[in-house]
Amino acid sequence: MNFRKVMIVFRKELMEVLRDKRTLFTTLLLPVILYPVLIIGFNAIMTRQTGVLEERGATVAIIDSVNTQISSRLIAGLEEIPNFSFIPAGDDVQGLYDAKEIQSVVTLKDSLAGDGLIKYHIYIQYDAANERSNMTYGKIFDVLEDIETELISDQLQISGISPELMNMVDVRGRDTADSQKKMGMILGMFLPYIMIIMLFTGASVVAADLVAGEKERKTLETLLVASVGRLEIVIGKFLTIITLSMLNLIVNLFSISFSLRFMLSQSGLDMAGAGMPIKAILILLAAMLPLATLFAAILLSISTFSRNMKEARTYESPLMMVSMIMAMISFLPAIEMNSLMAMIPIVNISLLFKAVMVNEYQVSHLMITILSTVVLVIIAIWGSIKLFNNEGVLMRSDDDSSSLKGIKKNRANFFTPYNGMVYFTLALLLLYYVASRWQMQDLARGLVMTQVIVIALPVFILLKVLKMKAAPVLRITMPRLKELILIPFIAIPATVIVAILAQFINSIYPFPEHYLESLGKLFEMNLPLWGSFLVVAVAPGFCEELLFRGLFPRFFQKYGMKVNIVITALLFAAFHLDPFRFVPVFLLGALLGYLTLRSGSIIHSMIAHTINNGLALLISVFSGSQIIKLVMMDSENLHYWVVIPAAIILFLALRAFHRFTERGEEICAES
Amino acid sequence: MISVQNLVKEFPKKDGSKFYAVDDVSFTANDNEIVCLLGVNGAGKTTTMRVLSTVFQPSGGTATIHGWDIRKDPDKVRENLGFLSGDTGLYNRLRVHEFIRYFGRLYSMVDKDITQRMDEMAELLDMKDFMDKKIEFLSTGMKQKVSIVRSIIHDPPVMILDEPTSGLDILTARNIISFIRSCKERGKCVLFSTHIMREAERLADRIVMIHKGKILAEGSLDLLREETGQMDLDDIFVHYVNLFSDEVEVQAHEF
Repeated sequence: MNFRKVMIVFRKELMEVLRDKRTLFTTLLLPVILYPVLIIGFNAIMTRQTGVLEERGATVAIIDSVNTQISSRLIAGLEEIPNFSFIPAGDDVQGLYDAKEIQSVVTLKDSLAGDGLIKYHIYIQYDAANERSNMTYGKIFDVLEDIETELISDQLQISGISPELMNMVDVRGRDTADSQKKMGMILGMFLPYIMIIMLFTGASVVAADLVAGEKERKTLETLLVASVGRLEIVIGKFLTIITLSMLNLIVNLFSISFSLRFMLSQSGLDMAGAGMPIKAILILLAAMLPLATLFAAILLSISTFSRNMKEARTYESPLMMVSMIMAMISFLPAIEMNSLMAMIPIVNISLLFKAVMVNEYQVSHLMITILSTVVLVIIAIWGSIKLFNNEGVLMRSDDDSSSLKGIKKNRANFFTPYNGMVYFTLALLLLYYVASRWQMQDLARGLVMTQVIVIALPVFILLKVLKMKAAPVLRITMPRLKELILIPFIAIPATVIVAILAQFINSIYPFPEHYLESLGKLFEMNLPLWGSFLVVAVAPGFCEELLFRGLFPRFFQKYGMKVNIVITALLFAAFHLDPFRFVPVFLLGALLGYLTLRSGSIIHSMIAHTINNGLALLISVFSGSQIIKLVMMDSENLHYWVVIPAAIILFLALRAFHRFTERGEEICAES
Repeated sequence: MISVQNLVKEFPKKDGSKFYAVDDVSFTANDNEIVCLLGVNGAGKTTTMRVLSTVFQPSGGTATIHGWDIRKDPDKVRENLGFLSGDTGLYNRLRVHEFIRYFGRLYSMVDKDITQRMDEMAELLDMKDFMDKKIEFLSTGMKQKVSIVRSIIHDPPVMILDEPTSGLDILTARNIISFIRSCKERGKCVLFSTHIMREAERLADRIVMIHKGKILAEGSLDLLREETGQMDLDDIFVHYVNLFSDEVEVQAHEF
């Protein structure tokens, strides 16, 4: 790599970006204007608004069902509140309140307390979601408390006791935090969030312009034919993004710090002179630099991949969402920095930021944060260089999409990975929004309807629309008997192994209680055994297989059998919407995929799937029997040793199956 | 000199099969010679040139530019190559002299030499009035001149121009034509592509006809006329295309 050329590229990109008014505005000008306007303006509006509310006053209805001297005194006290008017409650009091004609209804009641004393109950009806009503409540509450104190001290005086008795215990807190630290705590809450988002926005504006923008303006080829290597171009552009996002960050940091100081000095709080210490700022910038680098590398990859700037911005938005959510961790009071947290990108910066602001950070956390981010940065840069060397991606432009449309029209080429993902997403949405409702109404019926209507039926409708024959596409062919005989010897030990794996996961990372309960419901439906077996084992065995081993492998055919099996198994696991069983379901899916694709017959995996689901049911039903007790530790868990015979049987059966299906590869290639 | 040997460039199609944009192409272009790559749209001209300019990697075969192999020494190839096409856009936010200087620096020229050469070219192409303007404010003709200077700032021995006149009006296109001629006068090897027969007739010392990624015919205009018995380049081209289609049909029957 020629570093001189990197610098030539870098200097030119920097000059060009800074000449773009839009970039200049969002990265440098916006923060300078935004925070003062936001903070100072908001402050002004807030104080004004409260003032205005109090000036407008309120109308309050009073229901006095006591009518004693004391209740009159209470009401008289209330009536002294400026701008408030009090009316006796009529029959339509609720109507007036609902129509917001009156802001509050105060009801006075009394009861007899133990020592013959009368106790007064005052109910204040108000609407906490309404600013005016809320303010009314606050005012009334304060005034009533004052009157209560007066009443008590009057009573005490009558009884010859000094009213000072009421202040017998004087409680006061003494705050040891200096104003610097207080400021730090406030800033530490929301500043990390703003900073991370700013860093991202600043970087994304520049990144989208640098490669996708060049594609759009057709200048990329000009650069590629010049005497400069792709690596030099990538690094030059990369440095540009980092420089500008860090510049953006620094401007933001100073603008916020300045505005806050101004706000605090205006607010009259005892925080004058509190600002962000220079040392904290420097530490933060040092910690933010790796994150800026990481964002730069990822965004550069996105920009390189995209056809134009609009597309780049589209791809950036989900990443932005994830970053925002991770950055929000600083708002959570309970989560603090530790070595594990320091390894999670964005989260680590967010927490470190918080710790630095109150000057309670550990250098080791700073180091882990920087190091772990640097590792990710290296991976990300490697990725963007790889992408930049991929001519198919680099020279992708708008005209490519037109050829894609042509292919889509072609029926024979419907089975593309892209269409597969679209189909999967639609099925998942249907499952999530429709099927879950069915299952809530009636579990057994809902499950069957899900299997038949959501999972199996669309497969046949699709093939009908495409005018394709279902049997060959879905591999619905009669398998050979000797293969079929092996299936129980594969399915049963596989089920056992996967169950033990789930058990093992559960022991390290226990499943939540409510989750196990909902799983248990599956086996406690009010159905005869054969009914449960149909719902839990047979229906999924047939319907899910049609989709996941029948249709989906067709979409990913071009990747070859192994990758196809992995992809469809991942989809299968994701479709269960169950993070706790993801790994076990994935492994089962891979095995089932192998059975179908290797043999060319979906019947195998249908039977294996049915056996797998049925076995869990049978165990729970027959848990009392002696044979089951032999392998079970307790009512839920298997003995770990069972894994050994299971693995041996599975291995032998799979080896035999593999040998019986030597012709399988051809079957897979055909069609 | 450009020497192309059995060059193949394939692209994967969405359905997994392959598309041969350039299919076993061989030809040469010597110094002090203008060679025209002639073909209809989608014939593989642009792909061939992109492979030669190292933007694309060849899938098979290779080529040398001024003796440097495009596979082994892409850096050296780019140093010795001036490339111009409809897709080589300009950086609108830069001024003309900044833009040219940027590329001069990338070609490792020292600033003094860049200035000198820029002044020469500005004089030659009548660009003095707009050297300080931002490129976004230039007319198409002015931009074309800037592109020319950009491609030749480092005085490369080989020039490749992909459809250099497409989308230009007559007057601007004339700039390009005279530029191509002047390149030859200075002893450079020039390869340009076009689908306009008249341009090929007027400029080329030799014509390489390309169709569906394959070479149809190659030779000087006179030679091609002699071989086909046709006078007009249009007719000559159609003649070869028909010949090619017949061959493909015959091949198809053999299967």
